[in-house]
Amino acid sequence: MKISNIQKVKPELIRLIIVFSILLFLFPASLFAQGEGLFKAKCATCHQPHKNGTGPKLFEARKRWEAAGEGELILSWVKNNAQLRASGTSARAKAIFEEYKGSVMTAFTDLKDAEVISILDWVDAQPDPASVAAPGAGGTTDGAVDPAAEEESGDMWMWIIISVLFVIIILSVGGVRRQLKISVGESSAEDDQTYLSEFKTWAWKYRLPVGLGALVIILSLIVTVFQGLGRINVVENYQPSQPIAFPHDKHAGVNGIDCKYCHNSVTKSKSAGIPTVNVCMNCHKQISGDGKPYAAEVKKIYDAAGWDPTVPGRYTGKTKPIVWNKVHVLPDHVYFNHSQHVVVGGIDCKQCHGDMTKMTETVKVQPVAELNKIEGNIKLSKPTLTMGWCIECHGAKGVSLGDGKNGYYDEIHKRLRDNDKSLYKKYLKDGKVSVSELGGWECAKCHY
Amino acid sequence: MARKYWKGLEELKETPEFIKHKENEFPTQQTVEAFLSNDKLDETSTGRRDFLKFLGFSVAAATLAACEAPVTKAVPYVIKPENVTPGVATWYASTYYDGSSYASILVKTREGRPIFIKGNRDFGFTKGAVNPQIIASILGLYDSARLTGPTVSGKRSTWMEVDKQISASLKSAKTVTLLSNTVISPTIKNQIKEMSDAMTAKGQSFSHIQYDAISYSAIRKANEENFGAPVIPSYDFSKAQTIISIGADFLGTWLLSSLYSQQYGLTRMPDSKKMSKHFQFESFMSLSGSNADYRGMIKPSEQAAVLSYLIKGLGGNCAVSSTLNTQVKNIADQALKSLKSSKQSSLVVCGSNNVSLQLLTNQLNQLAGAYGTTIDLNNDVKLFESEDAKVIKLASDVIAEKGPDVLMFLGVNPVYSLPNGEAFGKALKKIKTTVSFAGFADETASLCSYVCPDNHALESWIDYRPTNNHYAIAQPTIRQLHDTASIIETFAVWSGKPRLGKDSTIAYDLVKSNYELLFPLGDFDYSTHNSCETLTGETRNLNPFKNGVVGKMPSAGALEVVLYQKSAIGNGQHASNPWLQEMPDPITKATWDNYITMNPVEMTKQGFVTTYDQENGLNLATVSVNGNKVTLPVFPLPGQALNTVGIALGYGRGANGEAIGKAAFQTKEYGGHDLDEKGGLKPIGSNVYRFVSTENGNLQFDTTGSLAKAEGMYAIASTQIHHTVMGRHSIVRETTLPIFTQKGKEAYNPAHTLQKLNKEGHHEEVPNSEFDLWDAHPVEKIGHRWGMTVDLSSCIGCGSCLIACQSENNVPVVGKDEVRRGREMHWLRIDRYFASDEEATIGQRKDKETFSYDKAEIAAENPKVIHMPMMCHHCNHAPCETVCPVAATTHSNEGLNQMTYNRCIGTRYCANNCPYKVRRFNWFNYPSYKKFTEINPAQDDLGRMVLNPDVTVRTRGVMEKCSFCVQRIQATKLVAKIESRVVNDGEFATACSDACPTSAIIVGDWNDIKSAVYSSSKNDRSYQALEEIGVKPNVWYKMKVRNEENDLLASLQVEKPVAHHKEEKGHH
Repeated sequence: MKISNIQKVKPELIRLIIVFSILLFLFPASLFAQGEGLFKAKCATCHQPHKNGTGPKLFEARKRWEAAGEGELILSWVKNNAQLRASGTSARAKAIFEEYKGSVMTAFTDLKDAEVISILDWVDAQPDPASVAAPGAGGTTDGAVDPAAEEESGDMWMWIIISVLFVIIILSVGGVRRQLKISVGESSAEDDQTYLSEFKTWAWKYRLPVGLGALVIILSLIVTVFQGLGRINVVENYQPSQPIAFPHDKHAGVNGIDCKYCHNSVTKSKSAGIPTVNVCMNCHKQISGDGKPYAAEVKKIYDAAGWDPTVPGRYTGKTKPIVWNKVHVLPDHVYFNHSQHVVVGGIDCKQCHGDMTKMTETVKVQPVAELNKIEGNIKLSKPTLTMGWCIECHGAKGVSLGDGKNGYYDEIHKRLRDNDKSLYKKYLKDGKVSVSELGGWECAKCHY
Repeated sequence: MARKYWKGLEELKETPEFIKHKENEFPTQQTVEAFLSNDKLDETSTGRRDFLKFLGFSVAAATLAACEAPVTKAVPYVIKPENVTPGVATWYASTYYDGSSYASILVKTREGRPIFIKGNRDFGFTKGAVNPQIIASILGLYDSARLTGPTVSGKRSTWMEVDKQISASLKSAKTVTLLSNTVISPTIKNQIKEMSDAMTAKGQSFSHIQYDAISYSAIRKANEENFGAPVIPSYDFSKAQTIISIGADFLGTWLLSSLYSQQYGLTRMPDSKKMSKHFQFESFMSLSGSNADYRGMIKPSEQAAVLSYLIKGLGGNCAVSSTLNTQVKNIADQALKSLKSSKQSSLVVCGSNNVSLQLLTNQLNQLAGAYGTTIDLNNDVKLFESEDAKVIKLASDVIAEKGPDVLMFLGVNPVYSLPNGEAFGKALKKIKTTVSFAGFADETASLCSYVCPDNHALESWIDYRPTNNHYAIAQPTIRQLHDTASIIETFAVWSGKPRLGKDSTIAYDLVKSNYELLFPLGDFDYSTHNSCETLTGETRNLNPFKNGVVGKMPSAGALEVVLYQKSAIGNGQHASNPWLQEMPDPITKATWDNYITMNPVEMTKQGFVTTYDQENGLNLATVSVNGNKVTLPVFPLPGQALNTVGIALGYGRGANGEAIGKAAFQTKEYGGHDLDEKGGLKPIGSNVYRFVSTENGNLQFDTTGSLAKAEGMYAIASTQIHHTVMGRHSIVRETTLPIFTQKGKEAYNPAHTLQKLNKEGHHEEVPNSEFDLWDAHPVEKIGHRWGMTVDLSSCIGCGSCLIACQSENNVPVVGKDEVRRGREMHWLRIDRYFASDEEATIGQRKDKETFSYDKAEIAAENPKVIHMPMMCHHCNHAPCETVCPVAATTHSNEGLNQMTYNRCIGTRYCANNCPYKVRRFNWFNYPSYKKFTEINPAQDDLGRMVLNPDVTVRTRGVMEKCSFCVQRIQATKLVAKIESRVVNDGEFATACSDACPTSAIIVGDWNDIKSAVYSSSKNDRSYQALEEIGVKPNVWYKMKVRNEENDLLASLQVEKPVAHHKEEKGHH
């Protein structure tokens, strides 16, 4: 019996082993990636791998729990710490809560055990930047000059210098020629010409090319003037200084904080909202940057919030609002609503603001060329924050109609489909119903 | 007869100047030689070339400077309040009470500043009804003339100092009097009682006198005599089938008029075939009178006769003479007929403050069976408890220097509103300590030794008990702007509590603890959220009805003077509110003034001019009453009873230049206040409270006097100088209830048709829609199509919509001079049309053959009235859109006519081409030009806070007009999109439809065939104004139905014999 059983199983076992080994090859990587994603989405707001923040560091957290003899309880802690504390079975849970008094950890009941483990695996695999990152430190600092920009402006100067030189050479050659003529004796009273009359004679002699040349020059001047007029009030690259040197790349990039965590009215309001100081303090209560170059900047937040770091957990009550310089300024006669675009339109922040996770410098209005480089962005040609830019996007972006995802658009779809099929067909010619076709190019959508 | 055409009055009258300049087509100008030969030319310091250089430089500099965008700052909260999201409005439920108006309200705040008030339709017995004053009161919060802290002898002081001094005075005083308006706050009442008890215990004498400038004391006295309880009952107009009003403007200003207009609106719905019949007997054409089905013109002294006639007609006993003239008698007979048929569902109200008249009114109500159905004596109204006799005695005591040691004024301004206010004011300084709690240094406060300014209503915690069964809470919607203190806190401090300053919770704690006493099981937060609670009131021990002893009636005179209130200005406490000053009076359409109203028939007899315009004013006249005189322009008001004149109270505020607010004074043509010879500010209009007399201890607002023509003319700023619609039924349509119920739509509301040649070459009547100049806009059936219907039957013309629109859409105030030039900016106007003798009713010619336009221009002596709100019609074939050279006004695929300010170059072609004349042009930069500094709130750092941040503030040189509140449309759609659902019917409301107390304005998505606006537009009464021009508006009117018998109209509104056409068709 037994033998036969084994025999029976064997082929399947072999198959299983093959599959398993393939999985084994892929699994760690995928789990690992999952751990990183989950960490950034769920934990990074309060925890860092190697440093205590709003919550304790997670590097080798498991070991610390094991050391306390409660290794298996870490999972229950992560999933629902309040329950664990209430149950009274864990001394460590109580201790952590005491240590970080005031900050209650969010419950993550939706996380599976495997997912929690994947997070901890990923964290434990992270090298301590204090020991690793030392040689590379200072590689990219704030205020580094963009080499491309420098090159461009260098070019400009070169061209100006060359053209000035060119003019001088022409003039001096002409002068030399004149002097030569005079010395040779060709010159006489009648053709003692001034530069102007000489030029006139010359221009008349070659009137066709000169005329055509003049036409080209005049046309290009007109074009340039109009292009120049078109650049008036174009604010691409506008980059005002800010009271606090806030590094978006560190927050959104390195720490992976979601944009909406700080700019939290973006889903509710027309304004995305500059984070209020209490939002900063959620993390910076713990992250003071002591000994780091950015400590002075964090100090400014403490001043604003009225937080006295020398006495932990003590607000003085003397607050001082931070006066930021607005970067993306729309004129008063333009109504723009963030929630409309982010929630309803499903537009990613980077479509208009660029990839903030990589922005090392102070926030600026990204030129449209930069925005176009970002993957997933709708490619546009008009300068950022101009009306042309807005309506170009409204013409290009499609609205998902009648897919059952949005009750509002389902009704619009129904009315369009039932009442004017030919119009609907016309709209669908380019494969989508664009924002503009639903009225996105109408004046009173943004101006009232 | 040869017609003579003239282009100006000068030509008509052939003035010497006109004849002199007649031949010169252009006015003569200096010749070039004469100009150059001027010796003084060289003396100018700037040469022509220099001038051009400067010009060129400054143009270039200005251009360059304009290219540079200024740095904008953004300051986030340090700690964000939980309920505030920048960019999203927060609404608070609260309660409004100012001594004369009361309502449950909702206050819209943005980033912590209140910007809009509307009625609360979900909670409170006022059911969302508000009046213009309540909506406009938001502007009062930001009045820069408000006192910023306590004062001692007019000098700014500190609360500590003031508290110390007043407490000492109160301790040493023998007699203390508190003169207040009617206090309906249980908490303040308790405090006053405690104060009184404490002082009495110490042997001091304390008295609290309540005084309302407009008193209703006679109603209480009459009820005391008839029922043994001095109450003002709750009236329910919604249950009344017959409404008889004797001089009571219950839709405009009488008692809780905003509530009554809401109830009245419920009875003015002809579609349900049940409509109240409204009779009005009055001297002055009031808002209520203009809405009446039957209106009798009587003198104030004839009110008794009307009541007596009706009492006798119902079989009652009445000793008063009942002689009436034929016209009034006919209407009174109709009223009797209606009273008898409606049985229990009748209501009679009387506006007089004469006890005898109120006794007769009660008797009539008793006979008509109104008690228990339309009148509820148990749930009595706690407002208007004025003790006139005591006030009159106090005033004479003070004048005789026998006044109390300490006199406090809460919510009253007796120096302005008492008949002998002037003498009272002079005598005030003889009193040891005078304290005012006014928010402004008004007529009374500026004479007081101490002013302890109370918070604005929107800054205070306070509770109210407006009726026996109702308890309401007012919660603050903004932190105090100034160093003011709640009256509750001030009283508490004077009885021993410490002053806690700006963030004090004293008022909150006291209101809350009082609430907990009243509702032991209640949840204060929940009640605050709803703003009110139902209360089990005290049971009234009412005696069965007992006839009262009728005493003295209003005396007759050669000229009887009616002192009335305007629905915008009321008793005068909001006189510095420029929105209300500029709101056209519902009947006269005049702004920024009071005047003597007189019937034009009488004016012609007495030699007064009856027409006026931008250039030509009206005659001045002096009215004398009991030795007091005022000189005011005489205004032609059809419907004013002969031998009577009306003058509005509430004007002439700040006669001595008191700092009650910049907008309360006259301004000059190019800005700045207009000053009199002594350099003082000139008040707007004249104060006629001095005409108020007393009768049996009650203030009387009907009196007798004399009138004499005075020298000079006076310019009037009116938004409508034509009176009638001259029989054009394509603008307004009207019918009677019998016609409406008995005949088909074809009879009273025929569709507009045009003639067309058919295939056979015959003329054929076809509907308008067959003719079209333009391609159709794809607005029907696809997406949304925003539409509006306005029911002319339920619209009472109160003007709430107009003020709400002004508040919502940042509509600028332009001042009297600009209104006179026809440049008012209101996006929504209410046209008022009188009937002429040439019409069977407004808009219906009496006789086509003999119709005379000349005569049709003149309103009838006692005309019928229609109020017609007029705003942008958002025509689908808009004439304005086709003429704009820069496409600044375009059509949206939701049927909106969009106005794009930043594209407009101000050609004004669109305004020229608009058939409804609803476009407004920004002639000036109202938010900065000096002409408007005194009147436009947007020019004031504080006043600017009232602006709606979602609506652009327009600059000079652009057109603007009603946008259908597109900002609200967009917001409503966005909420639906975020919540992934369709836009529900009723979810979108414009500011005007929100504010309408009678729900006459319905808005919504017309493409949603289940929507209210769709079915309303398909109603038999619906028509479109000027339908024949084919502009296809998105606004429908529902024709006015008057509940009257009109045989002439019935003979005109008949169904067309259509059989003839059919026959003809059959032949071919």
